[in-house]
Amino acid sequence: MLHVLVIGAGTMGSVHAEAYKNMPGVKLVGIADLQADKAALLAAHCECRAFTSYDQALGQLGSEHIDVIDICLPTPLHKSYVLRAADDGKDVICEKPLAGSLADARLMIDYCKQKGVRLFVGQVLRFFPEYQNAKALLDRGAIGSPAVIRAARGGSYPVGWNDWYSDTSASGGVIVDALIHDFDYLRWCFGEVERVFAKSLHGRVQAQLDYALVTLRFQSGVIAHIEGTWAHEGFFMQLEMAGTSGVIDYDSSKDTPLIMRDRGQRPGSRAGVPVPESPLEPSPYARELAHFVSCIQDGSEPLVTAEDAWEALRISLAALESARTGRPVTLNDAARSTSG
Amino acid sequence: MKIGIISFAHMHAAGYASALMQIEGVELVGIADPVAERGQKYAAQFGTSYFQSYEDLLAQGLDGVVVTSENAYHKEHVLAAAKAGVHVLCEKPLSTNVKDAQAMIEACRAHGVLLQTAFPVRFNSSVRRAKQLVDEGKLGRILAMKGTNRGRNPGGWFVEPSLSGGGAVIDHTVHVADIMRWMTGAEVKEVYAEVDHLIAETPIDDCGMLSLEFDNGVFATLDCSWSRNKTYPVWGDVTLEIIGSAGTLTLNAINQKLNVYRDEQGYSHHFWGDDMDLALVRDFVSSIASGASEASVTGEDGLQALAVAVAAYRSDERKDTVSMTDVLA
Repeated sequence: MLHVLVIGAGTMGSVHAEAYKNMPGVKLVGIADLQADKAALLAAHCECRAFTSYDQALGQLGSEHIDVIDICLPTPLHKSYVLRAADDGKDVICEKPLAGSLADARLMIDYCKQKGVRLFVGQVLRFFPEYQNAKALLDRGAIGSPAVIRAARGGSYPVGWNDWYSDTSASGGVIVDALIHDFDYLRWCFGEVERVFAKSLHGRVQAQLDYALVTLRFQSGVIAHIEGTWAHEGFFMQLEMAGTSGVIDYDSSKDTPLIMRDRGQRPGSRAGVPVPESPLEPSPYARELAHFVSCIQDGSEPLVTAEDAWEALRISLAALESARTGRPVTLNDAARSTSG
Repeated sequence: MKIGIISFAHMHAAGYASALMQIEGVELVGIADPVAERGQKYAAQFGTSYFQSYEDLLAQGLDGVVVTSENAYHKEHVLAAAKAGVHVLCEKPLSTNVKDAQAMIEACRAHGVLLQTAFPVRFNSSVRRAKQLVDEGKLGRILAMKGTNRGRNPGGWFVEPSLSGGGAVIDHTVHVADIMRWMTGAEVKEVYAEVDHLIAETPIDDCGMLSLEFDNGVFATLDCSWSRNKTYPVWGDVTLEIIGSAGTLTLNAINQKLNVYRDEQGYSHHFWGDDMDLALVRDFVSSIASGASEASVTGEDGLQALAVAVAAYRSDERKDTVSMTDVLA
């Protein structure tokens, strides 16, 4: 039985805790969050203990009764908690993006290696069946040789603790926080990226809006266009792969099995907003975490490694740099090989 | 009003011809085509005369002429029409290069004839409605745009650069580049593009992804790839996403469709929206009739859109951004 402590009771913390609650071979031992009421509420729901800090949790549970630390905190807090967990000899599952800088991400990966603990990063898109199936079709030659790829992700501006998403130096904006999913997925499908060009609203508008359009050129020749938006409503993700003999496309807002529309007549309900759902049992997040857990149990390599997460971050930061300078950014192989 | 058509090399010619037939007071005087078989076939179909030489057609006392020859011949045909004092509706791209396009604009100005670039998308009812919403300020200030104009590889002379000037980038950049200029009222300042030949067997650029910076701080991307395969349910698309300070707009200009499923042909879209070719030709005819001093969509509009495509090719060669002033110089 693996004992997991979740740090952070926000959106992702709740998703992770819920997944562990029903996962065979795992015991969710606690949830720690600075906001005691949030931790308590989530802990009550997941039938585990609530703590207001990492230290309090380790102190009260006893370090020997915790195997895995799952970090669901705002990005700037990832580093210190990953290092602490490694110091305490715990395997670590960390939400994406691993860090805000490549240097920090490298340090975290190396530190975990040194301390002999595993580090997994929640690049969850690889566990979404629609994306897995698209890759399987691609690999099977369903569209021939891939040529032009379009991906999109976004919706409304995210709401988080202390409004941390709107501090681009902390969140990296839509390019780092959201598009890192697509960058990782596309790299999984098409290999290494050669060149990145990006434009974004960051620095152009004062309003709480972010919108970015990124072009990736892969070493294989594939051209990919990725749209990231925190300027729309609701949430959607799209993928289109066009190849020499076919096209695969997916749009979560259209290809959805379930949409609920509220007439707004019940107390507290909101009218007019369609809420699409794509029920899956288990959820992609639960699939991802169960996979990480099984990797911890049998020592096997995960579908997405910490090095993959580092590469996805590298693409994200190159896109940020391109958007800032207005020039294309070439990713060189030297940086890749010396880093690995 | 007497109108002629020079060349049926471009498939849009048939659409323009049938539009001309529908407009009251317009006589399709003749079709000139160096390919006799093709010219005679369409002359018979539209019940008009066939001319081997375009000079003979231009000598028929025309008010206007539609130029739908291969891109590389636009200049020769437009210059001849201008010299004959005939107003011109010229198929896009206006030319294969900036210099020729500038010469065409100059010649038409010198001879006092209208030069209209055939951008039918400007006359699509959904595009016009979008423009109205933008002009009414419904989106606030435009911040960014994402456009696509994908299609199938048309083959034929379109994949012979000596006749077409290039592949997907020159063929499919201009429509949406024009719409973006029209929506924003701004000019493209800088272009970056990834261009390649990744799909067709014939070596021609069939994949293009452009990033545009406008002179008012708006940015955009444009996918002009010939990336629709044979069994794709529709020939392609014309889409534009506009991000405004007060809202967003999603435009899919040909999404007025029926979904049709047939045992033999599979799944296809059947378009039932307004005929934009008819609206375009009607506009050209009415500009002539009213004695307008400028076409509603000018040669200059055609030049600016063409220059974006030219800049895209140059950007791909340099692997860097290209300034539009360098391209237009």
